[in-house]
Amino acid sequence: MVFDSTLLLLAILIPLLGGFTLLGFRNLSSSVVRLVALTGFTVPLLIAVWLYFMFVGADQVDGYRFLTELDTGLSFFGINLTLGLNGVSLPLFFLAGIVGLAAGIHALHSEAANRQLYLSLLLIMQAGLMGTFASIDIFFFYFFHELALIPTFVMIGIWGGFGRRSAAIEMTIYLTLGAMLSLLGLILLYNASGVDSFNLIAIREYLLSQPLSDTLQNNIFGLLLFGFGILVSLFPFHSWAPRGYAAAPTAAAMLHAGVLKKFGLYGLIQIAYPLLPQGAGHWGPLLVWLALGNVVLIGLITMAQRDLKQMVGYSSVMHMGYCFLGLVTFDAIGVGGAVILMFGHGLSVALLLMLSTAVFHRTQTYDMKEMGGLASRTPILAGMFVAATFASIGLPGFANFWGEFAIFVALWHYNPWVMAIAATGIVISAIYGLRAVAWVFFGKPSEALEEHWRENKPFELRQGERLAATLLFSGLFVIGFFPRIFSDYVDMDLKPYFSSEPPALVQSVDPVEIQSEVLVADVATVESTVSGEGAR
Amino acid sequence: MDLNTLMVLILMAPLLSAGVIALFFRDRGGIASAISVCASGVILVLSILLLMNAPEQPFESSIEWFSLGGFTISLGFLLDGHTHLLLFVVSFVGFWIHLFSIGYMDDDKAKARFFGGLSIFMFSMLGIVLADNLAMIFIFWELVGFSSYMLIAHYCDTDEAAAASKKAFIVNRVGDLGFLIGIVWCFWKFGTLNLSEINWAVQMDPSLVVTGLGLLLICGFLGKSAQFPLHVWLPDAMAGPTPISALIHAATMVAAGIFLLVRIDALLSPFVLEWIAWTGAGMAFIAGFVALGQNDIKKILAYSTLSQLGYMAAAVGIGLPGLGLFHLTTHAFFKALLFLCSGSIIHACHHEQDIFKMGGLLKKMPITSIAFLAGMFALMGANYTAGYWSKEAIMTAAFAIDGPIFWFLIGGAVLTALYMGRLFLIAFLGKPRTDKVKHCKESGPVMILPLLILGVLALVGGFYTFWPEVLSQSFFSEVNNVYHGEEFHHAHETLKIWGTVAWISGLVIAVLIYGVGSSTDRLNAKLPGLVLVFRRRLFIDDIYDFYVAKIQQRVADTLGFFDLFLISGVMVRGSAGIAGLLGVFSRSLHVGSVHGYVYWFLLGIVLFWAFSMGWF
Repeated sequence: MVFDSTLLLLAILIPLLGGFTLLGFRNLSSSVVRLVALTGFTVPLLIAVWLYFMFVGADQVDGYRFLTELDTGLSFFGINLTLGLNGVSLPLFFLAGIVGLAAGIHALHSEAANRQLYLSLLLIMQAGLMGTFASIDIFFFYFFHELALIPTFVMIGIWGGFGRRSAAIEMTIYLTLGAMLSLLGLILLYNASGVDSFNLIAIREYLLSQPLSDTLQNNIFGLLLFGFGILVSLFPFHSWAPRGYAAAPTAAAMLHAGVLKKFGLYGLIQIAYPLLPQGAGHWGPLLVWLALGNVVLIGLITMAQRDLKQMVGYSSVMHMGYCFLGLVTFDAIGVGGAVILMFGHGLSVALLLMLSTAVFHRTQTYDMKEMGGLASRTPILAGMFVAATFASIGLPGFANFWGEFAIFVALWHYNPWVMAIAATGIVISAIYGLRAVAWVFFGKPSEALEEHWRENKPFELRQGERLAATLLFSGLFVIGFFPRIFSDYVDMDLKPYFSSEPPALVQSVDPVEIQSEVLVADVATVESTVSGEGAR
Repeated sequence: MDLNTLMVLILMAPLLSAGVIALFFRDRGGIASAISVCASGVILVLSILLLMNAPEQPFESSIEWFSLGGFTISLGFLLDGHTHLLLFVVSFVGFWIHLFSIGYMDDDKAKARFFGGLSIFMFSMLGIVLADNLAMIFIFWELVGFSSYMLIAHYCDTDEAAAASKKAFIVNRVGDLGFLIGIVWCFWKFGTLNLSEINWAVQMDPSLVVTGLGLLLICGFLGKSAQFPLHVWLPDAMAGPTPISALIHAATMVAAGIFLLVRIDALLSPFVLEWIAWTGAGMAFIAGFVALGQNDIKKILAYSTLSQLGYMAAAVGIGLPGLGLFHLTTHAFFKALLFLCSGSIIHACHHEQDIFKMGGLLKKMPITSIAFLAGMFALMGANYTAGYWSKEAIMTAAFAIDGPIFWFLIGGAVLTALYMGRLFLIAFLGKPRTDKVKHCKESGPVMILPLLILGVLALVGGFYTFWPEVLSQSFFSEVNNVYHGEEFHHAHETLKIWGTVAWISGLVIAVLIYGVGSSTDRLNAKLPGLVLVFRRRLFIDDIYDFYVAKIQQRVADTLGFFDLFLISGVMVRGSAGIAGLLGVFSRSLHVGSVHGYVYWFLLGIVLFWAFSMGWF
């Protein structure tokens, strides 16, 4: 359907145009600025909602719907702006829409100096994000990521909080390094595939019929893994994340931690794992250790944090470990779980970052030990923060739970011990999450705080913040109660590439020791359906 | 209405109530309480309707909730005898607690939050009761943990509540960790999480039962039902409002653990059962001692819950889960009663909880005191009260099946009478010792009515032969066998005497040690060391505190330091410096002599080769 395909393009162009309008025309009245910004942030979400409902009936090519192709004059290199959504990109496209609007609302109600510039950069970021998850062309996939990344650096540099300079530099170095490595990998992949096209569908088709040699796969996968891994704060390349998020202005941090960071995982799921299964098997054992480092070590480090924003940043790093563990399993259960967790985590971390800023506005400190007693003074803020904390530690009823649970299930099949170690994360995250809540909101306020509040009474969440939070919560709740909204589509488009059988090189301990004949028959039917669909 | 609709409605009513309160009536405590109580009333009515139409055969229905690859979680109901009983206990006791809360929380500032929390609690617990598969049990299991957290933290301005809520959730999560691993293992082992399918598979092939799996699954029970070593959260949970304690201790949270054991009974190997029996028996005995060291009326009752849960666990452990369910039911009646009575007292005495500061309550609050007495006798297992029938059955069975377990249980029975006697003698007799108590008045009808209803049940609720069959079917045969069966005949005859001797001797010892209406702890005066050990809860909490503060936190801090120092500090924070150094370094590469370039070229080739071999 032409109309729906055009919408995909509009979801990128409208925020981009809005961003450039705000950037170019500096003497706009504030109501016009508001209007342009709101349009730019709202339209992508509306389009995402519309496309979701159109998704089932749409024509598809290799799982991708709403295909649209534009010649950008680079076709000589095999580069065309090819847009489309499949079951994996749909949740993330949606996520970008929700978090973008929430961050936009937050920014519109913030008191940032030179707000017009702030909004225009955010809009450009938003355009980049929508583009990243809608691109089928690998070049544009990467291009849109950079389009979203560069404003982040600028925003940290201009509006960042304490220590913004070093944080911006650290983040820039790290993320540029990661982006360069992954670009190298992507170019190598393009070269090696020999189809002279950056189109993912074409490359997939080609590589599935003629897989690359083992060495090549291993090397390319390594580049992609570490390149993308750095972007997702894979242990031990994580230190940019907590510091960066602590220093970044709230809206930028929300968009980056919530959405942009998922780019790396998304790339691994859509490109690296399906195209380079041999490479995935080769790097799997190492990745398991690194991801466990994310979950356990970073989890423990999170427990040591006194600074609220740093704590949120570290916890986000920790949860990325689960996503990697989901990928390692190379199983539709685990990878699908990772996609759901990416969605849930994006919303919950954006919420936590936003609410932490709100807490800061009331306490003038990020040191959690210096806080206390906010719950009785600002009950809505407290209630939302508690809910967001529980969402992020995987309470059922929120989207994150399904992701984590599925990852644990798949992980057991990969290796029970890894699963047991990773599962300690649910205790660790409960400890740091609830301790933060107790420090910030419960008990009595510290003396300094009481002094401060005598003059500035703590005020409730403002309308804008409430609206943004409600938006994010509704995403968490809807998927938390009805996970099949996304999981069915995710499952559908993962099954062709991620079997329920682990690849040969992956060390796996098979716990299924079923002696009962009836059960063997049961399992056999399950497996045959799975492999049957895999073959399809 | 068909069964499925009824069950959906039962589950949705409290969720709807909580949602409506959270969205629209956050600041209207009165309306919120009305909605919540109505919801619990609706649950009760629907449950009774459901029970009246209960099918003969277990009824199951489910829909797919979540599915990825070969893994599916379904949202399903399993309606069998166990469900009937628990559904009744939860909705019935829950309703009276809701009603009582109206009176108890009348002057509270955050009433809406409290009643919303109550509804969420009911929702979570009903979910566990109705669930037909382990994943769904786990989901609602976690939600029970969350609701308890929210309600224990009700007085969140106090440090006590802040710490207790956190502790409750985290300790429960430790148990859930094992439970989760067990569930996942279960999935890969059986290819399903559906309870009846698992039961069926085990019946086909008993060798599927593995000890490790059972041990992992019962971790969930240890956490929720507060058994050693995860019992530490329950006494602290007293920091919440008293109706919450009643709900947690009687109908919902701790009952969930026992219910889980009954549900997964088929998966428990003999070793695991032995383990459960000993954990239970030990707790039944030891908790009694710790209760002797407590002065807070709610803490004493909390330890009595630990002890009674021990009896239930022991019953499951010796292979008679029906007895455990029976005791769970009678315990729900009298423990809810006891907590509501203490709530009535605490409310009247302006939140005084120290029994040594009370005294003379019998005259001041006669109805509450009589009700308390009824609950107390049921708890001690005084002849022909509700507690007598269930506790006696467990002890009889233990006597016949596993001697050593029996000695712990009967010791627990003596101790129960001793610490309850102490509580009654000190708090209810004698003269009022503080002004708060001097001016206290009997509570209003909203609070008295639940006490009367539950009081009657605590006295006569144990005559199981008169129960509707739909409720008693899950334990009838087992209990009846213990009382009338041939194999238990000798044990039953013996226990008739011993059981009576146990509780009477406990009371007599209490009078001898503590006297009537004493204002000081006489045992403490005589044996301060011993009481200190009891009061400090055998130092188990201290060991945990030591671990958390001195080991866990230090490890975390050390790792945090390394992270900051090594990864962030040395490797990156000096990144500007490193970049600068790189500049200096790369300048020095350009030495201008061909000789130098050749070496660099060689190094590059070596690196490239190593890289392409996949060495790094």
